[in-house]
Amino acid sequence: MERVKTGIKGLDQMLQGGLLPETATLVEGAPGTGKTTLGMQFIYNGIVQYDEPGLIVTFEEFPLQYYRDAASFGWDFRELERQGKLRVIMSSPEVTHHDLTSVGGIIETAAKEMGARRILVDSISHFRRLEQDPIALRELQYSFINALKREGLTSLLTRESQTLFGENRQADDFVAFTADTYLLLRYVEIESIVQKALLVLKFRGSDHAKDIRQFEITGQGIVVRSRFEGQEGIMSGSPHRMADAFVKAFVENRGAK
Amino acid sequence: MTVQYEDFTTKLMNDMDPALLDFVKEKVNTFIKWDLLRFFHGNPNTADTAENIARYVGRSAAAVKAEAQELVDDGLLQIRLVADLPIYTLTQDRENRTLIDQFLGACEDRDFRVKVVYHIIRGMR
Repeated sequence: MERVKTGIKGLDQMLQGGLLPETATLVEGAPGTGKTTLGMQFIYNGIVQYDEPGLIVTFEEFPLQYYRDAASFGWDFRELERQGKLRVIMSSPEVTHHDLTSVGGIIETAAKEMGARRILVDSISHFRRLEQDPIALRELQYSFINALKREGLTSLLTRESQTLFGENRQADDFVAFTADTYLLLRYVEIESIVQKALLVLKFRGSDHAKDIRQFEITGQGIVVRSRFEGQEGIMSGSPHRMADAFVKAFVENRGAK
Repeated sequence: MTVQYEDFTTKLMNDMDPALLDFVKEKVNTFIKWDLLRFFHGNPNTADTAENIARYVGRSAAAVKAEAQELVDDGLLQIRLVADLPIYTLTQDRENRTLIDQFLGACEDRDFRVKVVYHIIRGMR
């Protein structure tokens, strides 16, 4: 099966080789967990390793910020733009939505001109400000994701968690339902040290790693490390040792009988 | 006193590259236009409404709308309709883009910036 490799060390292995072409991937995490870095790396690796031009659509940060952040990892986004392999488009969700649904829009034209295969949308959280009505918001998100697929793009959509640690309950989780792949990035506190965890929660049409992996943002971008060993409750943000959990579940319960 | 003022003006004008002087006098003759060009130059693939661009540059929407339209008339910005929304983008015209590059490149020099500020203030009188 054809795969769209992220080129991110450790992640492609979790995804059994990479994402599926022309699918939408939701990357969710708290501020600073690395959603945008992961997205930029997906686009950058696509261009330089797999010859797949890419688009970045930003609703929040100025493109200037992307050029600077990318440069800190040694990725020259300005040069890639000059070569016609990348375009960092700043717009608003309302304009982008109208643009994508109309014929000959800016994104459609750019994708066709460049032969773009990948797109990062940073972030889809901003669609909430367009629609208060949850049903109308669902329709809007659904048509937006489908429009990206129509253009033959493999998309990565970021979404901000509302909590720094632990479980995040979104009021409307329609995007998670619609997305083909769902990656969760989390802060985890272990012995007073904050680490980062990555989980592939869903991967429609493919098997995937079920374990929770540590990852780091290095000078070369994100590197996914090994799984968390001997810990339970990682995604809660404050895990405990499995031995403690065993004692709690069996020894303490037996004592209570 | 008047003679001194004119001398100073002439000196400042003579110091500037004629093409850039024309550019400042004819096209970047307000601070908002300068802000807009700087913004679009730094973020060249921006495509948005005047209201949103106003938020990005921290100016009022009404002012940006009027000034952006003048930049469109001068060929420095482009406008297109997306579902009846007027969307502004940087010009695709190579010659005008080069002129914008040259102007903002020159603005990295403090002396040049002072001259531009002077010309804009003088034009506001």
